[in-house]
Amino acid sequence: MTLFNNFRKLSNFVKPLKRTECLIVLSRRTFASGWMCCGRKAKLVDPLTESVCDEDGTYDYDLAVLGGGSGGLACAKEAINQGAKVAVLDFVTPSPQGTKWGLGGTCVNVGCIPKKLMHQAALLGEAIHEAVAYGWQVPSVDQVKINWSSLTEAVQNHIKSVNWVTRVDLREKKIEYINGLGSFKDPHTIIATLKNGSQKELTAKNIVIAVGGRPHYPDIPGAKEYCISSDDIFSLSNPPGKTLVVGAGYIGLECAGFLNSLGYSSTVLVRSVPLRGFDQQMAGMITSEMEEKGVKFHHRCIPVSVEKLETGQLRARWLNTETKEQGEDIFDTVLLATGRYALTEQLNLKAAGVNVLSENGKVVAETEQTNVPHIYAVGDVLEGRPELTPVAIHAGRLLARRMFGGASQLMDYDNVATTVFTPLEYGCVGLSEEQATQRYGADNLEVYHAFYKPTEFFIPQRNIRNCYLKAVALREAPQKILGLHFVGPVAGEVIQGFAAAVKCGITMEQLVNTVGIHPTVAEEFTRLNITKRSGKDPNPASCCS
Amino acid sequence: MLGRTLLLRNPYFAKPSLILRNLTVSSPTYDIIKIQSTDDFKAKVINSKTPVVVDFFATWCNPCKLLTPRLESIISESKGKVILAKVDIDEQTDLALDYEVSSVPVLVAIKNGKVQQRLVGLQDTDKLRKWITQFTSDDSEVNVHN
Repeated sequence: MTLFNNFRKLSNFVKPLKRTECLIVLSRRTFASGWMCCGRKAKLVDPLTESVCDEDGTYDYDLAVLGGGSGGLACAKEAINQGAKVAVLDFVTPSPQGTKWGLGGTCVNVGCIPKKLMHQAALLGEAIHEAVAYGWQVPSVDQVKINWSSLTEAVQNHIKSVNWVTRVDLREKKIEYINGLGSFKDPHTIIATLKNGSQKELTAKNIVIAVGGRPHYPDIPGAKEYCISSDDIFSLSNPPGKTLVVGAGYIGLECAGFLNSLGYSSTVLVRSVPLRGFDQQMAGMITSEMEEKGVKFHHRCIPVSVEKLETGQLRARWLNTETKEQGEDIFDTVLLATGRYALTEQLNLKAAGVNVLSENGKVVAETEQTNVPHIYAVGDVLEGRPELTPVAIHAGRLLARRMFGGASQLMDYDNVATTVFTPLEYGCVGLSEEQATQRYGADNLEVYHAFYKPTEFFIPQRNIRNCYLKAVALREAPQKILGLHFVGPVAGEVIQGFAAAVKCGITMEQLVNTVGIHPTVAEEFTRLNITKRSGKDPNPASCCS
Repeated sequence: MLGRTLLLRNPYFAKPSLILRNLTVSSPTYDIIKIQSTDDFKAKVINSKTPVVVDFFATWCNPCKLLTPRLESIISESKGKVILAKVDIDEQTDLALDYEVSSVPVLVAIKNGKVQQRLVGLQDTDKLRKWITQFTSDDSEVNVHN
């Protein structure tokens, strides 16, 4: 009943606006038809000129999506499958360093995709050295080094090809793509500001906010002037050289990890703890592995200033918040990875009546629906949801089915697996040991753990000290598994299948009754038998080393 | 040894297509053009009296880079009987989408404003030459009109 009332209130509020809108649209249409006389194909007609705006409240589109990233595009495509008429607005404001990119959002352009490719470049570099131990004759192996511009060119070329495929996909599915920055004029009207400054208006019955986020810049001298972020690193024109990474979240650690493996000395400033929110024992494994590979860490340190020297290098200063000691060093590149903020400010949400922003500017929407019933949000812009591409895609798709397909299934944000692509990867699904302890109490948990030795690591004598896994389960039989954690090679590939098992409610009994594939690293999960409570040594037996 | 070094450093020798063009074609600037806009495309391709091969390419596409020199040398051999119009799909996105270019490289053969044939993907020189020769000959036009 309340919903219905909201609708009524809203339509009363919207009606006068719509009438004015009709006039604008009509006059524009007259103008446009004159212009279109030389047009060739009906499908080329500017969709905004097709606007129908009757008194009974018809809109240009059934759905307008603000943001052409993973979540927005998935939602738009599914809406089309359900028979809706859809427009997607996408616009990239250049980074403070001037980096911009094409259609597809963070993941494709400045996130998962380029990150994974640079991670792979880093792994290949390590593999060249290991190959020697396996008998490969690599000439001058000590002089093997990366050509940064070849790497970035290859990465960028791949991204551009994905941009193109995305563009073609929208066209084939007849989704209207508008390369403009969207903001609300009223609850049903979006103003798109195009690159040349001109504005277009469109009306939509439903609107999905999927604008995502961008890197946060700390308020210190030199941040915006001299520092780069993950927006810039994957297309950086010069080799990064000696790099300071500010922030030890997964973005900071991944960047420091691949840069170090590519041969660029990396230092990380950790404000509180590395990988906050992740299982801290596993986070410790990741940072110790990185330290052993040569990455330097300054714990409990916050940046103070970055200044440019005459040499073109950057002097960064930081403060240890515990000892109050100051530190400084000279770097070629300072990369800020101090979090991301949601791009809600530019949306003029007030005009739409959306008033569910959290303190940090994110949209609070439990079922992706805001306080204005026809305005929704998916992806990184949502408060308290994992900022992950597959989460956005899944939520966007389910939302479209609810909006246009009569479905009722809600997104389940629990037990979403993820992986940190540091050189030695960390994959996890479910609860961290800390979260499980908080929720169930240590007495009600059983934690199985083991160090393990990947077969491939023996010959090149790779560091195995941080190859570790654990399963956090309820203590009571059949010991339902609450979380699985794995540090090691291809952790992402390992954890994905187990994520399905966790989703199905797998128990420790079932896990240890699963027969492993030998020799793999994933089979270590099926061999878990030592509990932390037992105090037994979790290290594997070995003949040597 | 000296001569060889000179040969290698001379850009004309490094790009055989350029030599061919300079030696064999009377007006080399007209047979290979880069399309600048949809209007430009209309003027130089759709309204062209000479048959046109449109090369939809992207700067990020490696097969495109391999195709270009092969294509240019064949076009130059044809001595003005066929024009090569290059379209960068990122610059002329609408044009590329109108011609349903979903992957690159795509060659579209246009005669008297009509699309005669399409060739998708990287081709070897022999196949390219055969394809271009076939389409510039009168037969293909007759076929299409039938």
